Formats: sequence, C-alpha cells, structure tokens
Amino acid sequence: VIGLAYVMSVPWYRETGAPLRIWFGLPDWVAVALFCYVAVAVFNAVAWSLAEVSDTPDEDDTAQALHPPHPSDASDTSESPAPIGHEAAR
Amino acid sequence: MNFGLWGVIGLGVYLVALVGVAEVAKQAKLDASPSDHFLAGRTLGSFVLFMTLYATAYSGNSLLGYPGRAYRSGFEFIMATGFMMSIIVVFQILVPKLRPLSVRHGFVTPGDWIRLRFQGPWVRTLRWAVAILMSLALANFLLAQLKAMGEVASLVTAGRIPYEGGVIGLAAVILFYETRGGMRAVAWTDAAQGIAMLIGLAALFSWLISEAGGLDEITLAVAAKRPDAVSVPTAIVCVNWFSTITLMGLASVLYPQAIQRVFAAESATALKRSFAGMSFMPLATTLIVTLIGIAAIARFDLDTAVDADGVVPLLLREWGSAGGWATAAALLVFLGALSAIMSTADSCLLSLGSLLARDLFGRAGSDQAATALGKRWAAVMLIVAIPFALQREITLWRLIELKMELLIQCVPAFLLALHWKGLKTGPVLAGLLIGTLLSVGLTFAGTTRLYGVHVGVAGCIVNLAIAVVFSLVSRDASRMPSAILPTQSS
Repeated sequence: VIGLAYVMSVPWYRETGAPLRIWFGLPDWVAVALFCYVAVAVFNAVAWSLAEVSDTPDEDDTAQALHPPHPSDASDTSESPAPIGHEAAR
Repeated sequence: MNFGLWGVIGLGVYLVALVGVAEVAKQAKLDASPSDHFLAGRTLGSFVLFMTLYATAYSGNSLLGYPGRAYRSGFEFIMATGFMMSIIVVFQILVPKLRPLSVRHGFVTPGDWIRLRFQGPWVRTLRWAVAILMSLALANFLLAQLKAMGEVASLVTAGRIPYEGGVIGLAAVILFYETRGGMRAVAWTDAAQGIAMLIGLAALFSWLISEAGGLDEITLAVAAKRPDAVSVPTAIVCVNWFSTITLMGLASVLYPQAIQRVFAAESATALKRSFAGMSFMPLATTLIVTLIGIAAIARFDLDTAVDADGVVPLLLREWGSAGGWATAAALLVFLGALSAIMSTADSCLLSLGSLLARDLFGRAGSDQAATALGKRWAAVMLIVAIPFALQREITLWRLIELKMELLIQCVPAFLLALHWKGLKTGPVLAGLLIGTLLSVGLTFAGTTRLYGVHVGVAGCIVNLAIAVVFSLVSRDASRMPSAILPTQSS
C-alpha cells in the first residue's frame, strides 16, 4: 500500500500543461500527492506499531564464537566490539 | 530585521538554558563509558527519543533552505514531504534486524556492525571506507550548520553579534554542552529545540494564511504570477521526484547520528513509538515550510537563482515590523530556526567524534579512555571546521550535494547485509568503491543527474549489482556467521 501510494503521489500519469483545477486550496495534482503522503504516514505509523522489534536476537546468538579470526585479519579481530559494561548484561 | 536588543536577550536566555541542561545531564551520567557518553547509557525513552529524532532530522536547511527551494520550484517541491517520509519507511528495513544485535553486542557506532557482520582480509578496509564516507557526509553537514548559525545569530540580533561571533560563540556553546553532557545533553536540548521549532513554524504559517485570506487565494495568486509554479511537472521532473525519494530514503537512514539513536533507545517499544510518531512529522514540518515558500511567490519578486534562500528572513521582517506580539512571534521563529541548526550540529559533532575515535583512528573499547578520545576528536573537528565556516563567501555546494550520494553507497553494507547472509566482504567493498568513484566522478564532471536520476542512485545500482553478483559467484568464505541472523535463508 505504501509503495502504491508513493507511485501515485508522483503525477507521471498527468498531462503537462493541463488547466489548473483547485482541490482543497491546492492544484489538484498537489492535493492527490498530499493525500497519498497522508496515507503513507498513516500506514507507516500502523506498520511501526505492528512491527516486531525485539531487544534480543531471535535465537541465542553465538556469532562471536562463530567469527574466528581470519589469518590475514588478525589485528582486526582484536577490535571486535566488546559488549559495553552494564548493557551487555541485558 | 530589527530585533536588536530583544534578539540579544532572547538568544542569551536560550544559550543559558542550554548550558543549564548540560550540567543537569552531566549529573545524570552513570559512568564514563562510550556507551554512556555517546548513547546516553541506552536510556532514551519514547518522548525524548522522538524529539531528538525530530530535531536532528530537520536541520536549518529544512527551515531556511526548503522554503527557498519551494519558492524556486513551486508546488512540485511537495516532493519534499514524500522524501522526508520515505526515511521513516526505510527505517523499517533497518531497525527490526539491527536493534536486537546492537543491544546484544553493545554497538556504539555503525562500524561495530561492520566488525560483527563481515569477515576476511578486507574487513578493516571496508570499515575504514564506510567510516570515511560517513565522516565526510557528517563533516560537510556540520560545516553547513556552522555557517547557518553565524547567519541566523547575526540576523536575530540585527548585527549586534557579527557573523564571525555567531559561528565561534555558538560552536563553543555546542562543544561545551556536548562534552559535558554527551548524548543526554544533546537529546534533552533537542527536545526543547524541537518544540521551539514546531511552535515557530505553526505561528508563521498561521500568520501567512490569515494575511492571504486562505490557501485558495494563495494558489490563485501564485498561478497568476508564475503559472509554471502550479502546472503539472514534466516527465523529467517526475523521474527526478522518484529518484529523490529513493536517494533520501536510502541515504538518510545511514546517517551515523540516526543509527546511533536506534542504539540509544531505552527499549524496542520506545523505538517503535518514536518512529510511529515520526511518520507524521513531514506533514507538520516539511509540508508547512513548502507552503511558506510557495506563499512567498505571491508576496516577493526575488531572483530565484540568488535571493530565494532569504525568503524566510524576508517574511519575518515583514511580520516583525508590525511590532508587539508579532515581533515576539517572529523572534520565536528565528530562535526556532537557530534551534534546528544547533540541534543538527550537536548531533553531527557527537557522531563524528565517536566515529573517528572508534571506527577510523582509534580502537573499540568500553573504558574512559575511549570516551575521552571521542571527545578530543569532536573538539578537533570543530576547531578544523571553524576557519572554513568563517569564510562566508566559500561555496561548498558541490560537496553538500555529494553528501547523500556518498551515504547511499553504504546501502549494501547495512540494508542488504542485515537481510542476506550470503553477502561477502570483498564484493561489498568493491561495489562501494566503484559506486563512490562513479558518483563522485560524474558530480565533479558536472553531471548530477542522468535523465533525472541522481548520480548517487545510479552509482548505488552499480554498487548493489557488483556486491550481489560477486557474492554469488565468489568462493570467498567471508559470508556472515550463520548464527547472526538464524531465521534468514542464504
């Protein structure tokens, strides 16, 4: 729906030089674009409300253990991000 | 603009309040770790997170530059409302995957993701390349804010504070509160600055509408004066409209200060609420500044190539000349604009310090020394930027234009890498370098659009193609450790 609203917000389907028609105080193609952006805002807000954002990865994350130092990247692996103190315990 | 003494008093009160907030933020610090300084100890709740995202996203350019763009382009600049909204849409690709990893692994900067996700001999080069692109984008964003701070301080005090004094003085205030209070001070001042910005914009727009007799009257007056400003855009403008939405949506989510706010949230719930609220802010801000610029078409005859950026100061001069409450309200708008500029500048500076200290020149660490290194780098960058900002006539427009074209080249390393385990380090680095060279080369050769498509978007398409194709055919074993995103198929 959001993608469709974006596609319809751009007046590619309108003829350039068409006479001015005013809707809600704006040129009609601007009013359509604005209507589409209001729809994007509403659907996007709903999508954010329903989104599954967690504070923990889906499964036990053993990435550090599975991230062995590459022979030619030895110096870099020493910079692997150390969990930062108190928040690492969360 | 004749605010004079009232402008000096208003500015003084505002700056004292900022310094006070910094002291309170310093008292609230839990420890001296980079996480506490650069991410407020990951304690930002829904309201403060929402306001700091808002104040950071809407810079001085949004309040002073966009009305000028709308004045030049007419109603087609309604595209700005769409592209600002696209940023919050694209965050849906980034946040659900990045947030849990950032909590689990204690990310402080975007480079921490690169360290975790990629492997092999090219991983350090990739982290440096990403850090360099992000630092360049941040540095020229910071420079633009410093210059705007000098201009607005001079305007709001009717020249009592000269441009140079505004740049240096306000930069010193930012450095003070950022160094003392870190992200807490930045986020809390952002909250106050965001409110000032919203009130100021609403007041200016209400005055314009009541003066003109309604939106219909404004549209008719604009149509009579500049018919091109209301006409249906040409095909090439429509292509550019799509391209701008793509460029802004993909590139803006990769601003380090935006990514760091994802890390700094108190909880995933706070993050979701903040982004849900942010979905509506383009309607409350970008749409309003666009209509302000369009309303100015009917009021002024400006040289669109030279003077259009002065639209808001001109409107405020007219409004403020009525005296009394009108002058006070116009002053509030100016302070709101200054707030927008300073809130963006402080976020840039904080991110730049952490990025340079942690991703580019320093080492990842969780101790006091790592925090001090970030503070020092922030101070160094500010001191380096000030002499450039003092050159009022210097034109960095080409660099500023390049900002988004650079950031969008980091899309495979973040947005794609979060969702596809098969993406490998070497191809991502090759794509990033070739996409960047293509975008920068074309821009400096004088080509900023290819048939309406931004060169950065074209570079990103080439970049993505290289990253995907070579990851598929490469025998390089540097794909993501399989346990990072266990539910994704490769």
